[in-house]
Amino acid sequence: MSDVHESRTPVTLSGLPEDDPHLQPAANDPRQVERVIAVTFALGLLLVAGFGACYWIAAPPWTLGATMGGGLTLLGVGLVAWGKYLMPAGPFVEERHSHASSPEARDALAAAIVQRGGSVVKRRKLLGGLLTGGLGIFGIVAIFPLLRSLGPLPKGTLFHTDWRKGTYAVDSTGRRVQVGDLAVGSIVTVYPEGLENSDRGQAVDQTVLVRISNENFTTQKGRETWGPMGYLAYSKVCTHLGCPVGLYEQELQLLVCPCHQSMFNVTNGAIPQFGPAPRPLPQLPLYVDASGYIRAQADYNQPVGPGFWERG
Amino acid sequence: MTTSLIKRLGAFSAVAFLVLAPLSVFVSSASGAGHTPYQTTRKNAGTPNSSVVVKNKSGVVISYGNSAIMYNAPSSKLVTLGQALFLENCASCHGVEANGVAANGTSGAYPNLVGLGPATIDFWIDSGRMPAADPRAVEAPRRTPRLTPVQALAVAAWVNSLLPSYPDIPTPNLKNANVADGAALFALNCAACHTIEGDGDALAEDTFAPSLRKIPAFQVVEAIRTGPANMPRFTGNLSDYQVRDIVKYVTTEIEHPQNPGGLGLGGLGPVAEGFVGLLLGVGILALVAFWVGERQ
Repeated sequence: MSDVHESRTPVTLSGLPEDDPHLQPAANDPRQVERVIAVTFALGLLLVAGFGACYWIAAPPWTLGATMGGGLTLLGVGLVAWGKYLMPAGPFVEERHSHASSPEARDALAAAIVQRGGSVVKRRKLLGGLLTGGLGIFGIVAIFPLLRSLGPLPKGTLFHTDWRKGTYAVDSTGRRVQVGDLAVGSIVTVYPEGLENSDRGQAVDQTVLVRISNENFTTQKGRETWGPMGYLAYSKVCTHLGCPVGLYEQELQLLVCPCHQSMFNVTNGAIPQFGPAPRPLPQLPLYVDASGYIRAQADYNQPVGPGFWERG
Repeated sequence: MTTSLIKRLGAFSAVAFLVLAPLSVFVSSASGAGHTPYQTTRKNAGTPNSSVVVKNKSGVVISYGNSAIMYNAPSSKLVTLGQALFLENCASCHGVEANGVAANGTSGAYPNLVGLGPATIDFWIDSGRMPAADPRAVEAPRRTPRLTPVQALAVAAWVNSLLPSYPDIPTPNLKNANVADGAALFALNCAACHTIEGDGDALAEDTFAPSLRKIPAFQVVEAIRTGPANMPRFTGNLSDYQVRDIVKYVTTEIEHPQNPGGLGLGGLGPVAEGFVGLLLGVGILALVAFWVGERQ
């Protein structure tokens, strides 16, 4: 036992007798370990060669990853095992020399500075001034984006969409939606005509059009004319964080937001019945014109999307 | 009416005793749950208002459609077989008149099937959802069909004979389909519920949108056109040409996703990938580092 304890005490490498336990391999049976490592290296060699072959025949990408990754892993494992189990076990210590200069050298430097009245270290006003100026200007410039982000005020753009009195509702291909198009239980995302491919149309004006009945449908008092022939239109922008509320469950009559599972009941004016959304989805008043097209009576009567400071 | 129906009941039918209760004779007056007939005035959207219409000798439309999708009515010769199969497999819930009125007089629990069109009936049976394994389940999952495709067509033929409707059984032709347009339409119309990878996801009230991998092309059309359960119907808002593009995307890119790494992790996104990356990557690296640095 004392032998084991002694062999774990760090020693300096130089001057050790050849039979010192520190110089023996860590493995109890080095021959056995050598064979294992040899097998590891051989397999790694085969896999790396296989990687070359796979690359040559343009094999599927996963074979490239498997052969290269597996091969390098096996080579690495063998290398670590070699170092750990076959090299002299140690532990060894090697003392470093001192990093500090000698006391004489340090004294000589201090004496030289004092002797010359400190003139060895000069003040350089030009450089100092330029550096200070540069940093100061940078500090002022850094305020610019902060100021710029304060304006201009969005004013009406947050309160209004591009829906107007008489705007045609078109689908993503620009086709005008007709009253006969949708069966009950159907949904389509619509945009104001002409804006179906614009950023603003897709971000702000996007509206889900669902048909829940074959007759005029009233969701709330005061909205008697808003749902002609069972067509209801709601803003597709969630009032929580603005995700597209595109999930329509036709039997449950729910619009569901995919981000945080807010659920809006389409039959009562999209009042949220579950989830973090604080307000109903705004409803777009619709009418069917003489040619049977679905059109907007007016813009939304309230801002669409998440709340903001000026909304109150 | 009731007597003639009893005659048709098979000896082993478990529903025989239920039929003794009074039944509604007038099919059209029975109430269903949520479904109304398929209807759209748009051309080439699943009704005979299509580019191609084929009629039989008696002037009945047996086939219609266009170069993208042809819809074929199930053969009228299957009607008798269909009724027998319906009484055996479906009537205990949907009623012997298929109007959703069970023999004990209750209605509303199970949908009225009258006037839903052949594609609806065929989809539910051919995707294995009906006959339901658990009739009380919120949503019937896809499983191995209990009835053969021909038997499913037969049931569809009989139910449709009660009140003919649309759409008929679709056969999409994917030859000229545009998979890029299909991907865009999928992202706009389908991905919200089924996810962009088509793996499906949980929805409200214990319902879920099913995975779209490995679904026969004609069933994709049936589902889009008829809106099974909580799925909305896509009728006049998608033309047959657009539906065909979506089908192409579903049966190629979604059924055979491109995973260059070899492991798609179900397409569940960066959270799943990050989790596996941390667990496997950092975990294994930690173990290796421990092994490398361990002292004897």
